[in-house]
Formats: sequence, structure tokens, C-alpha cells
Amino acid sequence: VSPAADPAVISPQDPTLLIGSSLVATCTLSPDFPLKAEDLYWTLNGRRLPAASYSALGPSTLSVALARLNGSRQQSGDNLVCHSRDGGILAGSCLYVGLPPEKPVNITCWSKNMKDLTCKWAPGTEGETFLHTNYTLKYKRRWYGQDNTCQEYHTAGTYSCHIPKDLALFTPYEIWVEASNRLGVAVSDVVMLDILDVVTTDPPSDVHVSRVGDLEDQLSVRWSSPPALKDFLFQAKYQIQYRVEDSSEWKVVDDVGNQTSCRLAGLRPGTVYFVQVRCNPFSIYGSKKAGIWSDWSNPTAASTPRSERVAGGCDPKGGEQNTTLRRELKQFFGWVKKHAYGCSNLGIKLYDQWRVWLQKSHKTRGLAQP
Amino acid sequence: GDSWGIFTFLCAALCNLPALPALNCSEELGAGQSIQQTYDLTRYLEHQLRTLAGTYLNYLGPPFNEPDFNPPRLARAERVPSATVDLDLWRGLTDNARLAANYRAYSRLLCYLRVLDGQVGTAELRHRLAHFCASLQGLVLSIGGVMSSLGYPLPAGPAGPSAPPGAPAAPNDFLKKMDDFWLLKELQTWLWRSAKDFNRLKKKVPPAVVTLRLEARGF
Repeated sequence: VSPAADPAVISPQDPTLLIGSSLVATCTLSPDFPLKAEDLYWTLNGRRLPAASYSALGPSTLSVALARLNGSRQQSGDNLVCHSRDGGILAGSCLYVGLPPEKPVNITCWSKNMKDLTCKWAPGTEGETFLHTNYTLKYKRRWYGQDNTCQEYHTAGTYSCHIPKDLALFTPYEIWVEASNRLGVAVSDVVMLDILDVVTTDPPSDVHVSRVGDLEDQLSVRWSSPPALKDFLFQAKYQIQYRVEDSSEWKVVDDVGNQTSCRLAGLRPGTVYFVQVRCNPFSIYGSKKAGIWSDWSNPTAASTPRSERVAGGCDPKGGEQNTTLRRELKQFFGWVKKHAYGCSNLGIKLYDQWRVWLQKSHKTRGLAQP
Repeated sequence: GDSWGIFTFLCAALCNLPALPALNCSEELGAGQSIQQTYDLTRYLEHQLRTLAGTYLNYLGPPFNEPDFNPPRLARAERVPSATVDLDLWRGLTDNARLAANYRAYSRLLCYLRVLDGQVGTAELRHRLAHFCASLQGLVLSIGGVMSSLGYPLPAGPAGPSAPPGAPAAPNDFLKKMDDFWLLKELQTWLWRSAKDFNRLKKKVPPAVVTLRLEARGF
């Protein structure tokens, strides 16, 4: 039955420290505990600390000196534990050793169809702070309005946030990210943008790729502009990329402009191609500025026709050979039926006899040797 | 693997929804099959807990993640009824008492785990915890379903997501780590014990022959 009070108390309890700092911690036994200072020892993250760093400050208090601390091994804090001689745990303290955060950098934002705003950023150059660091994205309308805080995090990776509504157009926004941990706060530079400058949209829908008649080096691509665009005074420009089935190299067609169809030329005959289209809403409300490219549409596959007459394509002899072989096989089985009386013993001798017969009959018919 | 487990869990959850209108199942089908499904669910949770506990204890850091770690249970208010129980006492439990003990234990464990979920640092850990809590919720529902189908009343108790009363928060971070360690240990012990509990119940309530009477109306 353990005593009502904790057997010992450690000071400082759960301190926060800068990397490289030193610490003296004390373990004070509770009065009704029948142990003495010399019965105690310390461990840090499970490893026993050297007795040379201990010092008895009284009959029931043992201290330990820790110098030049490294960053915490785990974000939940280093475990500094005071033990009794038999290994039992008397008390513990979590040490949070790390660095204050660096300014978050590289804030980039985009708006899907002017309805929302998603931003992502990167932690400051040092990166590892060894402490749990919280990031808060804040935004406000320039010149007026109060600070707002983004609520939906991790929508586009760890360092991202999504603002789903209540965004105004035609007004600049100030956006910044605050990083904070136990050792301090760092605020990124403020990014200023107008929602209209960072608009992206859905990929084009209904992408169809089809042959152009019998032309074996061309394919026709057709698509519809993303439905969301038709509500706004956007123009759109498109980009097409395509590749051969077994290659990973994409060819890009850049100057597609505002059309919803395009013809790919200079293709290989009889080949399967994968095609994707993406869209950029530009000239939003006549601004002539480019937006942000959408994702690529799902790949659509189509094949170019293979001509029968072009040499080097399909081998005509091969075709004829196939029909010749079929005819010969038919003849063979007919011959077998006639000459293999009763038993279906298709031994190799029989096959040889048939080959000999075939040669004789070819000679008579004037056909080439198979 | 996981997909089998998720399927079992979904079946267990579905089995306890209000009776499907088109089918007319016999009562015994409910109890017998539910007990088997609850048993399967405890095995699945046991498997899931191994991964979760491993990740969580690594987050707490040594010595918590050392295999022989055995800290004292300091005299703070007992949070969860212990799974360990006298063997004769355990053998002598009525079906109702056996099921009720399981139901109460997992309801409380679920509450504590949900509190944990709000506090941990890494995204990976939060994700694993959320997944585990969902599965554990399924187990509680499943046990409730077995009790209902056998005609036993559900034990009253904390059903909401908030932390149950009478459980003071740990006064410092190290003691909180110890509490978390013991929570996981207790969860593990309960899952071991539940497998035995449901095995025992299986033998007493065998799955009956399935009698389904489908209303043949234009089907």
C-alpha cells in the first residue's frame, strides 16, 4: 500500500530550457519515507547519471548537475527520474530542452474558384526545434478589419491551412503565420494578396481523345471548360500533355489558348497515347493576369490507327503466311483422317510423312517453301 | 490483416443497429453471432493496440518504452476498474455481471482515450488514436448489443465524450506520462481478459440455426 503523498518531489518540475543550458535538479524525499539521500540515484531517459554529478544537500535531498543539455530526445520531454536504490521510481520531471521557433517562410496561397483560400508555408530554416511547435495562420483585410485565425489545418500537407468562407474579392488581404513553442514566438513576414490573383479551378471535364479518320499520326482532343468557370468572367487557357503508353516522358502542348479542342499531330501510328488537359483561369474580370494552373485531368487513352499498306508497319507476308498455315493445318488434319486408319496415333513419323507430301504438292502448285 | 478487422468491426456495428426492416431474424441469431463478433473485435483491437502502444510509448520516451518498465501505481484515484480479478470470482460471474463489467470498463477507457487524443503532440499519434477510439466505440456498441439481445439492461454510466468525474488530472507532466502508461496497460489487460470472457459466453449461448423469413412482396 503506497503512502497517500508522493514519495518524493523533484524541483524544478517540468522546466523549459534552451539548448546548451545547465540545470541543477533536486529530489526531496517526503518526511514519512524511510529512505535517505545516499539511497537515491538519477536517470535521464532511462540511463543512469554518474554519481560524480550528485550532491547531497541534506539528509533527504539529493541534487544532480546537468551541463550543456542537448535538445530533447522526444517532444514529450526528457524523463529525469529520481530512483530508490532498488530501482523503484520515486518521482520524475519532464525536461523540455530546445530552441525558440524560426520565422515561417515561403507562404503560398491559392483559391479554388474564388470561394476559399488554402495556404501553405515552411518552418524556418533551422527546422528542428526539439519542442512541439504550434503554427497559426492569420489573415485580415488590409486597412481595416480585425485579425482572423484559420481553423482547418493540414489540408494540403503538414504546414497548411484552409479558409473555407467569408472572403472578400477586390480587396487585398494580409496573411501571416505565427509559430510558437514553449521557448517563444516567431511571426513570418506578411504576405499581401488579392484573392483574384491566386485563383485556380478544377481540371477540364469530359476529356475525349479520338482518331482523326484514318490519319495515323493524329489524334483529336476535346474537352469541356470546368463548370465553375462559367459563373465568372474568366477566360481560360489550357495546356495538354501526352505520352506514349510505355514511356514516362510527357510532351506538352502549350499554346492551346481559349479553345476546347485541339489536334495532336506527328504521332506514331498504331500506338496507344495517354492525354491530360489542365486549365488556367486568366483574365479574371478582364485583369489579363494569369491564375494558377489546375490539376491535370485524369489521363484518357486512345490509339492511332495502324495503316495496312505502309511498308515496315504490318508485314503483309506475315498475314499471308498466317492464312497459308491455316490452310495447311486444315489439309493436314484432313490427310490424317484419311490415312490414320482407326488409330489416332499422331507420331512423329506421320508428321514427317505429311511434310514430305506437302513439299511434293507445293512443288506441283508452284508456291514458295513455307 | 487490417481490412478483415475493419470488416468485422463494421459487421459488429451494423448488427447492433435497429433491426433491418426487410428481414425477420430469430433472436438466437442475434446473441450467438454477436458474441462471436464481439470476440473477433477484441482480438482485432488487441492487434491494433500493439501498434498504437508502441508508437505512444516511443513518444513518451525511455524508460516508458522499455520492455521491463514497471512503475509503481501511485495512490491516486483508481481510474479504471482493474481487469485482474480473483480466478474463482471470475469463474462465478453471471453472464450479466460478466458482460456489464466489460461494458463499464470499455466505456470508461474510451473516455480517457478521447481526452488523450486532444493532448498528444504528433499528427501520426493523433491519427492512430482516433482510429483506435472508433474501433473501441464499436466494441462498446457490440457488447451493448449482446446484452440487449440477451435481455440484460445496459449499465448506467458515463456515455458522453467528456472525461468522467472523480478523475483528477495529473499534477505534473511526469505523473501524466505514468497515467498514460497505465491506461495503455489496463487496456491491454482488459482485451486479454475479454477474449476469455467472450469465449466463455460463446459456449453458453451457441449460435442457433438461422431462420430468416423474407417478406416475399414482389422481390
